[in-house]
Amino acid sequence: MGPLLSTDCGGGVTSQRLIWILWPSFIVGGIAEVLFFTAFDPLDMMFFGYPITWSREAVYTVGFFVFWAICATSSAATCFLQRSSGDINR
Amino acid sequence: MKSPAPTQEATAEPVEQALYEVRKKIHPRAVSGKFAWSRWFFVWATQLVFYGLPWLSWNDRQAVLFDLVHRKFYIFGLVFWPQDIVYLTVLLIISAYSLFLFTAVGGRLWCGYACPQTVYTEMFMWIERKIEGDRMKRIKLDKSPLTGRKVGLKAAKHAAWIALALWTGFTFVGYFTPITELGTKVSAWSMGPWETFWIFFYGFATYGNAGWMREQVCKYMCPYARFQSAMFDRDTLIISYDKGRGEPRGSRSRSADYKAKGLGDCVDCGICVQVCPTGIDIRNGLQYECIGCAACIDGCNQVMDKMGYPRGLVRYSSENALEQHLDFGQMVRRVVRPRILIYTAVLWTIIIVAAFALTNRVPVKVDVIRDRISMAAPDAPLVENVYRLQVMNTSERPRQFRITASGIDGIELESQRQPITIDGASQRVIPVRLRVEKQLTKPGANRIVFTVETVGDVESIVIEEGATLIAPKSD
Repeated sequence: MGPLLSTDCGGGVTSQRLIWILWPSFIVGGIAEVLFFTAFDPLDMMFFGYPITWSREAVYTVGFFVFWAICATSSAATCFLQRSSGDINR
Repeated sequence: MKSPAPTQEATAEPVEQALYEVRKKIHPRAVSGKFAWSRWFFVWATQLVFYGLPWLSWNDRQAVLFDLVHRKFYIFGLVFWPQDIVYLTVLLIISAYSLFLFTAVGGRLWCGYACPQTVYTEMFMWIERKIEGDRMKRIKLDKSPLTGRKVGLKAAKHAAWIALALWTGFTFVGYFTPITELGTKVSAWSMGPWETFWIFFYGFATYGNAGWMREQVCKYMCPYARFQSAMFDRDTLIISYDKGRGEPRGSRSRSADYKAKGLGDCVDCGICVQVCPTGIDIRNGLQYECIGCAACIDGCNQVMDKMGYPRGLVRYSSENALEQHLDFGQMVRRVVRPRILIYTAVLWTIIIVAAFALTNRVPVKVDVIRDRISMAAPDAPLVENVYRLQVMNTSERPRQFRITASGIDGIELESQRQPITIDGASQRVIPVRLRVEKQLTKPGANRIVFTVETVGDVESIVIEEGATLIAPKSD
């Protein structure tokens, strides 16, 4: 995470960079959560071939953080690619 | 004489740079006036709804309950199922269009009065003011060294903030799990792990956003703030400083003949800047940080009253009104213009269509799932397919149903004893076996129809759901 967050790119400081990564992914992760669990009932799903034994609340909660994490990874990759090679290899 | 306020173009550059500055803490000064009153009105109206709604009952259940555990949403007399997601989509479209309409008419009305970020910030600032005092006292307190008094005041403020934030988190979770049960569990400290987690998560978000982040949420995180000017035109009411009247600004004594000195009406007291929750100077023109809260209007009007000048140096006005010196009536009449009429027409069309669809919603839904493994042996005289019919009764009273099949002559249906009773707001999966003579089918898929109809009910509902019956190749 060091080179991704520590230096300025286009003027961004670390806390704003964190907002750029965590905030859009929070919104999109939330939308993904709603769409996904509207269409699929956790109790009908299989996890690597095994039925899920957790409660629906548990699956919804963990699911939300999984969606958020996936979206945050994408945001982080976008942030990373916005910077030129020169910025990264200083 | 000071130079006139820079135009919007001239300030564009410094504003962009200010984005990346380390945040300077803003200590907004309290203000009173008709817009402050309106903001408080909206704080009460929205929060009475938010904190109060989960406690209302309807049909012996919570009136508004988004029951995620049972995958059903109750809103007064309506029950929504996951299949009804189209209504959620329509609701979002209506919200978006309303936002466009309000923005085109009156700028950031949503931001200034109704957005939760504004409302909770308002509430948290009220607590802050009650405990730490108004602007000057707070600035002094923040600068002062750490004393017992400072620690006491800060601790009291954060304790009050956290209490309100946790109550907000509790209310939020109360929309998803019955709030009276949740209240009992909370008082006995026996909530489930997920309820506990979400109360604290939402509480923490409220505390962080309204206590600490405040205007930064609007400046850096809100997508609407970035594109709202796309909905503005030259007749949109925005909070504006009347440069023609105010400039050249400058301090003067109350009795001075300022016009003889060549001064405008702005006394350059800086109140408009001090009351601003985003810390901008409205005299620099329309800025994207402006959330349209109108605190500067109230602040300036108070000063104008004291000076004995007419009110409205800072007021709701439009670009055209300022340039062409339109009076209030002319400005308001310009609200009726093509952009507004189109937004209004589209909005009402969507609302009417949605309301019509909602009132004519059939309270029964049927899904047919064919069991893939149920093929008859190739040489058997009868073809047999097994289906599961998911029948949902979305109304809140029990209903009885009869299921029949048609599409192939002599089709025989075997199921549990009919009619089948399904309780209110629930569903049943009914296994059904269909049998037909093989010679009446063609190899492969045959079109059949399941008919599900209510029995002995004043409201007769007939639902036909198509399906396929698979016949083996005859060889």
